[in-house]
Formats: sequence, C-alpha cells, structure tokens
Amino acid sequence: MQLDWLLQPLLTQLNTGVLVLDAQYRVVFFNQFIARRADVDLAKVQGNLLEDVFADLPLAWLRRKLDSVLHLQVPAFSSWEQRQYIIKLAHLRPLSSDSQYMAQNCSMLPLTAPDGVSRYICLLIEDATDAYVYQQQLQQSVIQLEHANRTDGLTGVYNRRYWQQQLGYEIQRAGRYQHPLSLLLFDLDKFKDLNDQYGHQGGDFVLVELSRLIGSLLRDTDLFGRYGGEEFGIILPETGMTGALQVANRICDTVARHKMLYNQQTLKATISIGVACYFAQSVDELIQRADTALYCAKRQGRNRAVAYQPELEGYLKKVK
Amino acid sequence: MALTALICDDSLLARNQLKKSLPSVFDADIITASNGVEALSILRAREVGLVFLDLTMPELDGVGVLEAIKADAMDCLVIVVSADIQPEMQKRVMELGALAFVQKPATADKLADVMHKYGLI
Amino acid sequence: MTELHFTDVQRDCLQELVNVAMGQASDKLARYLGTFVHLQVPAIALVEAALLSQHFASRYQQQSATLVSLGFFGDQGLRGETIMLYQLANVGVIAQLLGYSDDAVSEAEMLTDISSVLTTTFLSGLAEQLENSFSYAAPRILSSRDQYFADKLAYTAEQWQLALQVDIRYQLTDYSFNCDMILLIPGEAVLRLRQTLDNILADF
Repeated sequence: MQLDWLLQPLLTQLNTGVLVLDAQYRVVFFNQFIARRADVDLAKVQGNLLEDVFADLPLAWLRRKLDSVLHLQVPAFSSWEQRQYIIKLAHLRPLSSDSQYMAQNCSMLPLTAPDGVSRYICLLIEDATDAYVYQQQLQQSVIQLEHANRTDGLTGVYNRRYWQQQLGYEIQRAGRYQHPLSLLLFDLDKFKDLNDQYGHQGGDFVLVELSRLIGSLLRDTDLFGRYGGEEFGIILPETGMTGALQVANRICDTVARHKMLYNQQTLKATISIGVACYFAQSVDELIQRADTALYCAKRQGRNRAVAYQPELEGYLKKVK
Repeated sequence: MALTALICDDSLLARNQLKKSLPSVFDADIITASNGVEALSILRAREVGLVFLDLTMPELDGVGVLEAIKADAMDCLVIVVSADIQPEMQKRVMELGALAFVQKPATADKLADVMHKYGLI
Repeated sequence: MTELHFTDVQRDCLQELVNVAMGQASDKLARYLGTFVHLQVPAIALVEAALLSQHFASRYQQQSATLVSLGFFGDQGLRGETIMLYQLANVGVIAQLLGYSDDAVSEAEMLTDISSVLTTTFLSGLAEQLENSFSYAAPRILSSRDQYFADKLAYTAEQWQLALQVDIRYQLTDYSFNCDMILLIPGEAVLRLRQTLDNILADF
C-alpha cells in the first residue's frame, strides 16, 4: 500500500511544531502548527534566515546548539524548564498561564538529504504550557506551605519552631559581626482571668488583637513569634539594651492604653516584658535571661518592662 | 620465504577482524600478540616484516612499542590501527616511525588502500 | 543473574566496539571543540544494576555530584539509558569547554548540554558498530545534591537489569576532568545485544 499521501495531512495536523533549516540556518519548511501560532506564511519567508523570520530569538545560544547538531551530527535538546521558549509562539491557555508565549520543549535533529551530502536540521517543538502552568501552581503552593509552616495558626506571627531557629541565626550573625542584638519575652498579665471571664474565644480574640497591635509597632527586621500559650518573643537585631528597653516600654504603654471591643464589651489587657541583651550566650541562655527579667516584671507588679541584670538572679533566689 | 606479519591488539575481535580483512593477495604468515610486551618479545625473537599495531592496550601500549622499535632500530614496518584517530595522535605515531594510520574498524577497503599505497601488495 | 552472563569473547567484542565508538567520539568532539580531546576507556564493566549505587556512593561522597540521564532507543528492541555522573566542581571547566563563559546560561543547561553532546556522540558511534541507529530522549538532571544521589541512582538502576559501566577520563589539551558514564540496559535488550555481538563474532 502506498503511504506517501499520509505525510502531508499528518504534518499539517500534527500537534508538534516542525521547522526545517538548511546548513546556513535558512528556513526550508515549517508546518501549520508553527505557521498559525507565529502567524507567518511559509511561501513568503522560505529561504530567509531564521532570525529574519522569527523575532527576538536567543541567537547566540541557538547558534551554538545548531552548530553542535551540524558538526557532531547528533541531536540537541532544549527544555522549557531551562529556557521557557525559543520562538515566540501563541498558546492555547491564555487564561491559565501567566506567560504570553508557549512554553516549549525542543529537539534539534540532524538530517541528511537523499543526495547524502546536503545537511539540514529539523526542530521539533512541543507545547509544554500545561506543564509550565502546573509548575507555576506548584511553586505557589510551595510558597504557601512554607508560609504556613513558619506561622502560628491563631495569631499569624511566627511559630515557636521557626522563631527559635531564627534566634539561632541572629545570634550567630551578631556574634560574627559583633553587632548588638536584644530579645524581648512577654506574657499577657492575668490571662487566666480573661479566659474565665470571656471564655477561650475571648482570650483568643485578645491574643489576635494584641499580636496585630504589637506587630504594627515593630520594624520589618524584627522577628515576632509566639513562644507558647500567652507568651511571645520578639528578636530585635541591631539593637542594644537602651533601644530594646525603649521598644519594650512603648509596647507596654500602647497595649495598656489599647481598648478592644469584644461582644459589645470593652476589654483592656496589660503585658509584662523581660528584656535581655545578647552577650555571647547560647540561644537557651539568652532566652533564660529574658525569662528571668520577665519573672521579675511580674513580681514587681506587672504591666512593665524589666531589663535583665545579673543581680536579678539573686532576687529570683530570694523570692523562691 | 613468505613475509611474517604481526597483528598486535588486546581485542580478539579486533585481531580476527583484521586478519579476515587483509587482502587475499597479501601473502604472509600471520601471527598475533595481545599486548605490547608480548609483541616486543616476538619482534626480538624472530624476523617480522610488518606490524599492525593497536594503540590502547594493557601492559604496554602501542606508543610504547613504537618507542622500543625505534630505540632498538628494529627493521620492521608498522601500520597503526586505532580507534583514537585525532590528528595529534596520528602526528605522534608518525614521528615515532609508523608507516601509516588506519582508523578502526579496519575494513578490507581501508587496509587494501593503505597497503597498496606503500607497495605491500 | 546467570541468564544475562556474557562470555569472555562477547565481553571482548563489546569492549572493542566501545573503544572504537569512543575513539570516533573523541575525534568528533576534538574537531567541534577545537581542542585535543582524549577519551580514555580503561575497561568496561558489566555489573548488576542493583550494585551500582553502592559502587558510586563512595566515589561521589565527598563532593556534590550531579546525575544526568538520557534515554535511547534503537531497532530490534535495543534500548537503554545512559547516566553521566559529574562532580559539581567540574562545572566551571565544562562551561569553558563549551564556550559558555560569555553569556548567562544556567548550570542545569550546561550539564544537560555537555551530557547530551558526549553521550549521543558516543552512542551514535556505538549504534553504527552494532549496525543499528538510536533515537534519543531529551537529557534530564536526576539529582544535584549528594544526599539524594545514592537514592536516585538506586531508584533509576532498579528499573534495569544490567549496567554497562564505562569510566571515562577526559583529557583535554588545556584541562582535564573525570566523569563516569553508565549505560543501563534492561534484561530483554541485553539478550538482543548479546545476539548482535554473536552475529558480529560469527562474521569473523
């Protein structure tokens, strides 16, 4: 059975771009897939240089690939993951893809004419836009997952695991560059009473509201995390004791003055803050010092910030 | 007395391939060696007129054999038969006194051409 | 796996075909790259694919390594996959070699490019020796961080029965680097390959 007649309709309907170049990289042939998506007419451009037919080609890159095909007589490949597209072609996913052009996988194959001498290169171009779109979505999901993985579900500040990890990095950085670093640990005063009076939902509301309020008082570089329950921590890079104490007092005052409306009732809350300054301690030691200062702030009557000093250790022993 | 020709290659396939591809008019006793050391001991023990020499071999490679032939001023012709066909390598073996260079696989046509050129057939 | 065993004669035949293919590949590459390329093939080894990751784990443990895979298909059911193994420290040399230093090309692209050039040049020579011809799938990077290296290799090798391990030493006029190439061949293709070798041997 004679099958030659098949070739033309197959090339026309093939869902792959077929583009043939001669050894001088002049366009010899392309099929309908390319003609329609690039809006070019083969009869008008046949014999023209590739770069004169298709605009904005990555020419140096493409020539290197084509040279290797011609000289080594082996195929070359290009993947959309490395180079999204070679030829600017329209695609059929205008709504779901954020790219105007078709993502492409391309194989460049050596061809020899029946005369055994004339060399050609055949480029097969496959539409990888779907894969590209899936990958974009996947990347989006990964970003969301990463965000969820470091965020406290209730308050939206960093969770303890991530926050403590960052504290480790900041301590390393401060130690390496001899930069100041401070840590605030704070606790809602009489949170149990709040919960008893307004229920856990009321307590949660206060945590969310105060996290938002305190977050708005911080710099972008400060790291705010929930340490557990009603206890929070704030890492203040590039900040010494004086600056840290100022920030702590400002937070204390702002919280104390802040009125919150919950179920038609006005709530107020106060916090106690312990402040510690980094001085070549470990993560645990630094947290321990801030915790000691926080404990003293509670003992001294709450709604205040206390800076850590070694003498506080004695005070702690006395009251214990 | 017929000429003695030595085929030196570590591959049995290559030795057989070469032996079968030699022109039928080439009247010689064919002996074989599977590495350079073996080849040299044959060359030192008996008179060999022509050597077909592979380059990549264990024990002693083709370049080593050529160096020894040159150093001992042995009276034999060497045709290098190798897969490594780069110009630099060809130049190197020619400088060491090889007569000609044949690219593997050694087909009957290639062998006939080169042997005719140097009057061996 | 006795079924996939190669006799000494078959092994010798395959080694010779690989040598010839590698010689042709070095010649082509030398002309293309404009530098003296010597691809040395000390010895091929036929190993059970399952043992591969063990073998390479120690060699690539110290440095970050990359695996690049390229699949090939021939006539008469001959098919397989090549894996090139590189140490990432060599990437700079590869870039220089391919003339990539002048423009921004990702490391991934350089690796797939050099892999496809090296393997297809070699494989098309080998196909010719076997009186066959191969078509190729685009190269893929399997892994570029060593903690996954052994796992990836083990996983890939699991799908194949026989591995033809070819250590390649690239020596170039101005630089040299080593990398490894593994030819993975599935069981039924091994039988085909053996048949082809027997046919070639029968001719001589």
